[in-house]
Amino acid sequence: MIPYQVCNRCVMDTSEPEISFDENGNCNHCTAYLSNEHNLALQSDTSKKEDLNKLVERIKSSSRNSKYDCIIGVSGGVDSTYVAYLVKELGLNPLAVHLDNGWNSELAVSNIQKTLDNLGIDLYTYVIDWHEFRDIQLSFLKASVRDAEIPTDHAIISVLYQVAAKENLKYILSGANSATEGIYPVTWTYGIADLKYIKGIHSIFGSKKLKTFPSTSLSMKDYYILLKQIKTVPILDYIDFNKEKAMQIIQNELGWRYYGGKHYESIYTRFFQGYIMPVKFKIDKRRAHLSTLICSGQITKAEALEELKKEIYPAELYESDREFVLKKLKLSETDFAEIMKLPIKSYKDYPNSKNYFEFRKKVVPYLRKISLMH
Amino acid sequence: MLRKRIIPCLLLKEEGLVKTVKFKQEKYIGDPINALKIFNEKEVDELVFLDISATERKEEPHYDLLSEIASECFMPLAYGGGIHKIEQISKILSLGFEKVVINTAAVDNPDLIKEAAQVFGSSTIVVSIDVKKNLFGKYQVYTKRGTYNTKLDPVKHAANVENLGAGEVMLNSIDRDGTMSGYDIALIAKVSNHVSIPIIASGGAGNLQHFYEALTLGKASAAAAGSFFVFHGKNRAVLINYPSEADFSQSQIF
Ligand SMILES: [Zn+2]
Repeated sequence: MIPYQVCNRCVMDTSEPEISFDENGNCNHCTAYLSNEHNLALQSDTSKKEDLNKLVERIKSSSRNSKYDCIIGVSGGVDSTYVAYLVKELGLNPLAVHLDNGWNSELAVSNIQKTLDNLGIDLYTYVIDWHEFRDIQLSFLKASVRDAEIPTDHAIISVLYQVAAKENLKYILSGANSATEGIYPVTWTYGIADLKYIKGIHSIFGSKKLKTFPSTSLSMKDYYILLKQIKTVPILDYIDFNKEKAMQIIQNELGWRYYGGKHYESIYTRFFQGYIMPVKFKIDKRRAHLSTLICSGQITKAEALEELKKEIYPAELYESDREFVLKKLKLSETDFAEIMKLPIKSYKDYPNSKNYFEFRKKVVPYLRKISLMH
Repeated sequence: MLRKRIIPCLLLKEEGLVKTVKFKQEKYIGDPINALKIFNEKEVDELVFLDISATERKEEPHYDLLSEIASECFMPLAYGGGIHKIEQISKILSLGFEKVVINTAAVDNPDLIKEAAQVFGSSTIVVSIDVKKNLFGKYQVYTKRGTYNTKLDPVKHAANVENLGAGEVMLNSIDRDGTMSGYDIALIAKVSNHVSIPIIASGGAGNLQHFYEALTLGKASAAAAGSFFVFHGKNRAVLINYPSEADFSQSQIF
């Protein structure tokens, strides 16, 4: 067994099985983050501002014949709420898209409502049939993989593409950003784009037919990206995105309310990240988030360590969430205890397209060049 | 004066929630348990669940689901759908529901209302009356989820169920259902002028002004709505919402 070690610079530690440290005790994650020349979070504000202005111009000219300028996803969380705010500040008229997977908290829906009402943004919601989605979520729990949030993430991306294509919009502005979430070990989660993996696990452990689950096969993705020319832009990377400041702004300007942890606006997400991940898989996702904040200069390492000392899941919230989650998933305490005890598996134990993805990584840039020539 | 009640009315179809327009065009809007949890935290006055497939299904209400609903919910709950026997009412009340809503059986078997009111008390018995205007502008009572025209006059029917012992009438305009174009104030005023039990206005709410109109001009004691609480904006995007106390008082509703 490897001895426990925590990075000298950030708070990543040996709970990440493939972490490595250099002679100064700095880990591969923060080193890669800080030395990435494409990392927009580290670029100067003036060059970003110029890039942002150009981006806004491109978006505007791409949408001359459409009712909206671009698509944004909304979840009620900090990042997506701030994207909504920023996009309006930039003079764009977005269509907000929300995926309802059956786990919205009251805070999530009221944050979305206040944001959209205050900013005058139209909404489109895709509701997945709950019985179907429960079947998928249960499948992932029974498969005993770390990737139980993948079906939601895949569905969100799929719905964003679908709506962009339908509305004939070329830009999806996402809340993903390197300033607060740039560090994230690949060993922690796999499969967001891998429909073969999602369907594979569901066909082994599930029982319902998938009818409303929004999915994107690789050929559909090619269609969206190459043919429809839809681009996903992490717009928060074009500004000096500071989480604390962003929260202040959306609280003051939009009446937005905070819900605790990162992505805790979904009840299932907070149960998965706050309980199943740390207890079963020994992963505390806060480490990656806080390490990113250290590297992007938003907090000090001492502050991050303080933050990690706090309970990951406030006891009272945990109790009520646990009861609610089991009830919604129709799991008894015994069923759930068994799931928690199952031997840990990875995507490698199930059907997946990982090898094919690796191959495509090399080929797609050429395909893109060819399609641009036409 | 008693505080007026504003009541979300949620339609169950099998184990999912749907919303209709004029009793048609069912649109799936999600999981009832999750919706309920959100309404719970929003501290709504009261909630009504109507199973719109129950009468047609000719089976018992989904007691398991109703039990889950009742165990998750803090506020007064009413259930309607497929109720035609005293034993069913007794079972639903024992699960934790405060009231039952009876529609088709109130026409087909008026004695049920009488007996239920005697056994459980008037305050637990709500009769819902679905009304549609005919070509000549005459209001007529429909049953079986708007598919059967009883040709009854809503005012007479309401007075009749009041005499039988119903504690409340939920008066629903089929023409306005899901349109968000405002309540049928004329209908509501007509009925509330002729009966003394509380009237719950239903069908057509699209904004806070509509509630105000139903409660003042229509003299309803409560106003129910579906679309208003589950849709956002002109795209009718699913997003559960409930106005704040401040919003209600600003619109002079409380
Ligand atoms: Zn590090």
